[in-house]
Amino acid sequence: MRALESTQTRSFYADKLKRAVHLLLFRRGKLPGAKEWELKEKLGKNYEQILGQLNQLLSELDLEIKKVEEPRTNDIAAEGGQVAPEEARYVVRLKGTLGLKESKMIGWRIDNLAALAASLAYLVSKQGKAPREDLERLLAQKFGRWKAVTLVDIFLRSGYLEEDDAGTTSLGWRTRSEVDLRSLMTKMAEAKV
Amino acid sequence: MRTTQASGRKELQELIKTCEAIEGRKFNPFFLDVRLGVETLRKYFPYWEHFEDNCLDAHTINRLSEVVRLQNTLLRFQSSALYADPEFVARKVERMSEKRLAEVFLQSYHPLTEQEQLTKEVLAEALDYWNILLPIDERWKRREYAAGKRPETADSSTLTGLGIHGVEFGKQLVAVWNELRNLYNPDQKPIEYWSFVRRPAYHETVQRAYFVSFLVTYGYARLIPEGTQLVLLPLEQPSEKQPAGAVSFPIPIPREN
Repeated sequence: MRALESTQTRSFYADKLKRAVHLLLFRRGKLPGAKEWELKEKLGKNYEQILGQLNQLLSELDLEIKKVEEPRTNDIAAEGGQVAPEEARYVVRLKGTLGLKESKMIGWRIDNLAALAASLAYLVSKQGKAPREDLERLLAQKFGRWKAVTLVDIFLRSGYLEEDDAGTTSLGWRTRSEVDLRSLMTKMAEAKV
Repeated sequence: MRTTQASGRKELQELIKTCEAIEGRKFNPFFLDVRLGVETLRKYFPYWEHFEDNCLDAHTINRLSEVVRLQNTLLRFQSSALYADPEFVARKVERMSEKRLAEVFLQSYHPLTEQEQLTKEVLAEALDYWNILLPIDERWKRREYAAGKRPETADSSTLTGLGIHGVEFGKQLVAVWNELRNLYNPDQKPIEYWSFVRRPAYHETVQRAYFVSFLVTYGYARLIPEGTQLVLLPLEQPSEKQPAGAVSFPIPIPREN
């Protein structure tokens, strides 16, 4: 009897794990991943346990599940604040990091990566927000005036940056999902020139 | 009484503007002395008689409270591990090589993994594409009509002429922009597009038109239709945003004249 129950529990979890993978990996809307309410609705109350189990499986493949919280305000310091469950999103991302060669293979140019690093570090130092012209001025010193405009456009299009009607740039959803800002700032400060 | 009200309105509006500039990250939140702002509000409050003035007063309080919130956020941020001085970051960026910057970024970068899939909308778009597409023999006919010169080799002088080789593209653009600015005199008539672009040799005209198109696209000049003429207006400060209603405007360059 106990053996039957245990088999049923295992299959129950296997089904839920599959459903969780489908929700997290297959893009349905504008952004990848799944919202917390969606997971709760499709996987049930113990969705966090299921995600924990899935995370263990994914870690063997150098992947991890990351909970991305939309800040209530655009201030970077509000990052740790309480967030309504419907605003949080779960995504699957690489657990480790990529090397320069690998990043080139997935379509990144070194100068674009360098410009993204500079833009993010600058925005973080300005608490997550800065006028677009200030950011372009910073990039222009390093990458040239004409390229700076194009680079900011690229980062806006790809979701690493966001811009409001007043021309203020801020960190985008993709930065919050993919970049460990604390590590970036520490490594930036430590880096030898 | 009226003079006091007028000066009070002016001061409150200036206060609001400063608060809004702080919100737009143009100034440090501690640039504004909030206590002085509150005292200004107190000073003029007894003079407010009209509804609009009270609204202005409430709006100023609202903006001041936002500045106080930003001051609080700044203090929390400065005490967090993320704090770095913007000047320090700018100096680091300037001194670090592109490769080093990219390496630093990659050490903190965990790209997302996802699987894009077909949706109803994408399928409908694909179906429309195939429905509109002409049969291949029709398309080949068009290609025959449009056949130009056969490919041939290009020497370094041709490449230099096209701006691909030789002086850096950015420098050439700046030179054209400076030329346009030097020619422009606000008191006189604006610069006519063709008189600026046209050169004795056809390839030079095409090259100048090409550079001017970049200047207009990036907001370093404006192209304004005036009757049957096109007029160029250089801008000292490039406009960061595309003007509302901006359109793509093809200009054919005839070989004649």
